[in-house]
Amino acid sequence: MASVEQIGLWASFLLTLMVFSYLLGDNLLYRLAVFVFAGVAAGYSAIVIWDGVLIPWIQDTLLAPNATPDQLTLGATPLLIGLLLLARSWSTRGDGLSRLALALLIGVGTAVALDGAINGTLIPLLFDTGEGVVAGNPDSILLPAGVICTLVYFQYQTRRAPQGQGRRRRHIQLLAVLGQGVIVITLGAIYGAAILTSLTLFSERLGFVVQQAQILLPTPAPVPAPGG
Amino acid sequence: MMRSFFTMLAVLLALTTALVTLAGLLLERQPLLLAGALAPWEPAIREWSATLLQVFSISVAVSIIIGILNLLLVHLRRSGRRQTGCGYSLVLFLSATIVIGLTYLERENLLTTGVAWRVLLLEQVQVTVESSLAGLLLFGLVYGAWRVMALRANGWGSLFVLTVLLVLGAALPLPELALLAPLRDWLLAVPVNAGARGILLGIALATIVVGARVLIGQDRSLRSGRDE
Repeated sequence: MASVEQIGLWASFLLTLMVFSYLLGDNLLYRLAVFVFAGVAAGYSAIVIWDGVLIPWIQDTLLAPNATPDQLTLGATPLLIGLLLLARSWSTRGDGLSRLALALLIGVGTAVALDGAINGTLIPLLFDTGEGVVAGNPDSILLPAGVICTLVYFQYQTRRAPQGQGRRRRHIQLLAVLGQGVIVITLGAIYGAAILTSLTLFSERLGFVVQQAQILLPTPAPVPAPGG
Repeated sequence: MMRSFFTMLAVLLALTTALVTLAGLLLERQPLLLAGALAPWEPAIREWSATLLQVFSISVAVSIIIGILNLLLVHLRRSGRRQTGCGYSLVLFLSATIVIGLTYLERENLLTTGVAWRVLLLEQVQVTVESSLAGLLLFGLVYGAWRVMALRANGWGSLFVLTVLLVLGAALPLPELALLAPLRDWLLAVPVNAGARGILLGIALATIVVGARVLIGQDRSLRSGRDE
């Protein structure tokens, strides 16, 4: 009887082949593998959230020994918000209340996003870019110049020409063209890195398939040499 | 009348929660910046901000669980009807149910095989399909780069493909291409670094603009189409 590990290796081997069958075109095997993947991912996500977030929360608030009314209210609030959001998709009757739940989420979400943008990205990147400038090192000047050009490329304010068309000022246009070049190079490098990563994964999977095929599939008995 | 009342209340709630949470977060990170202005309310703001963040994170977790349940119910319903793709829906539902069921049985010590089924499924199904799909991406990426040159053979397209080729060429362990490595390193250190910083700063600035729109009550995400 095959061991559990062997069944696992067979499953892994077959699933890899099923996914790679997409190279021949969209087919039943590929779709089956993708749906299995989606189901397993959904199951795992549910388990992780349930075990790691919801159960500890409920135990600390709603099921806490000697829970105060404040604790009970706090514990029930997220569950109520979830139900109100769910009700929004079922009926328009409780639309107003569900909008309040959504407002709370949007409000806190906005604050978190703003904090992340200001303290997590804007301030550290601006300081780091500015502080890196060293006299006599052209690269340290090219870096902030590239950042400025990239930002200029994304601003679309124009002056209206006498013919009615919007036109950027000449120096802004020049900076924007340089910025476009910097962005193209950046995206090209990221694309190249993505190709390298997927190439590594593809070769690893291919190696796994060949290795497993040698282990799992029975090898034919060696043919005796004539006259041997 | 009632609808516009709820809309107003929702905007007010979003505004208040956003301001309180943001003030709490800023007090946490930049205490000197706001400490003077908000000194009398500082303990209350900190407490409310922490509570709101807790409620927000648990509500998001509840929403994800509701989303997963909805996904499973939709696919269960679809698998019951004889329509195209019902088999795939059944596969998805069964995969998720097996993962959740095995986890439950493991936790209750009802499985006596001595095998960590959850880990086995994660390694042999989830990781396998994930890495195979990422490996398959290689073909899409290479085809995409070829399409750029076939459809947009202009200066920017050429610069993009040249950067991709440079990154790929520098990764090859060939002595003939050894010259490419320093060029690739400079490219990554200066223009790519500048471009990535510029794009991140652009995203942060856009986040701040959208956040500011919510804070001044200009965002319409809280209003349904009937209010417009």
